[in-house]
Amino acid sequence: MIARHFPALKRERRAVALAALILLQALCAMFFIGDVVIDLGQGDHLDDLHLILEAIAALALSAGVIYLMRELRDLNNRMAAMELGIRAARGDMSNLIDAFFDQWRLTPSEREIALMVLKGIDNDSIAKMRGTAQSTVRAQCTRIYAKAQVDGRAQLLSIFMEELLHAGEQ
Amino acid sequence: MPVGDTSECGCPGARTIPVWDPLVRLVHWGLALTILLNAAVLDEESALHEWVGYVALGLVGIRLIWGLFGSRHSRLSAFPPKPVTAMRHLVALSKGDKTVHLSHNPLGALMVYNMWVTVLVLGATGYMMGTMQFFGVDWVEEAHEIAFNWLLVSIVLHIGGVAFDTWRSGVPLVRSMIDGRKRVPQDRPVE
Repeated sequence: MIARHFPALKRERRAVALAALILLQALCAMFFIGDVVIDLGQGDHLDDLHLILEAIAALALSAGVIYLMRELRDLNNRMAAMELGIRAARGDMSNLIDAFFDQWRLTPSEREIALMVLKGIDNDSIAKMRGTAQSTVRAQCTRIYAKAQVDGRAQLLSIFMEELLHAGEQ
Repeated sequence: MPVGDTSECGCPGARTIPVWDPLVRLVHWGLALTILLNAAVLDEESALHEWVGYVALGLVGIRLIWGLFGSRHSRLSAFPPKPVTAMRHLVALSKGDKTVHLSHNPLGALMVYNMWVTVLVLGATGYMMGTMQFFGVDWVEEAHEIAFNWLLVSIVLHIGGVAFDTWRSGVPLVRSMIDGRKRVPQDRPVE
């Protein structure tokens, strides 16, 4: 259920399942290869068809293992690339936020509060975290909104949202 | 206050890097389980002991094949066995070097190959003991015994090494072998 909302987690689970399947199948392949080798060694009283079938099974399993291993490697590479992309996007996002804060000439404490506002923390919690009165936080927020020329929380957030969506359209 | 991310572990500025793919992790814990079973649980005369031994052999075989073309940090070429580099690493350690290695560190790499070879020797001599040709031959049984004792020594060294490197580098290594991610403190150089 959680996996549906977090595709990354779902992919990770798929990778684990794939790896487990590879292990099991590879062990089966080794069992058959060992059996074929031992049968060949004993030579005399084996019926040929049985041996041929076993050899084919061993080959098919081995080929399957190699194929699945390649799949797993590609899946791993894709996940690593995606993680890099997300990290880069995060870096871009914080650069963007910094740039806007600079433009609005926020003071260091206003930057801190603005960031908490962006993260969705309410005034009450901000006041507790900073060890100040709620009224102080409210006053600081008002100054931030004034500097950014917005009406409040939602509009402050929408500035960044708009920037991100535009970046996506280009 | 910097805007940058603090990752989910709550340690400020730590970088979380995916390192061990699921196949590496499953082989690692699978091998640990087979060794535990054969060393401490199963009767060594039993057929199950033999089969668990073959599974261990198979796991090492799979890991070696995966090491030829698997994902980046799991490839054998990412941690070649180089005693000279390992010695240099040892000297660097004694001088308080804090470098974090994404794959195995040079000493750890030697331990990995040592374990694999030891398990292969155990498997081979174990198989030989069951064949007509080598049944009851002294040197084969002794080799199996010596390899087993060496494996126990190796396991102690391995666990000690992991504990030491976790303390030295600040990367929780056991956790990285469970969920595959190394959490590297921000100030550590990475190799």
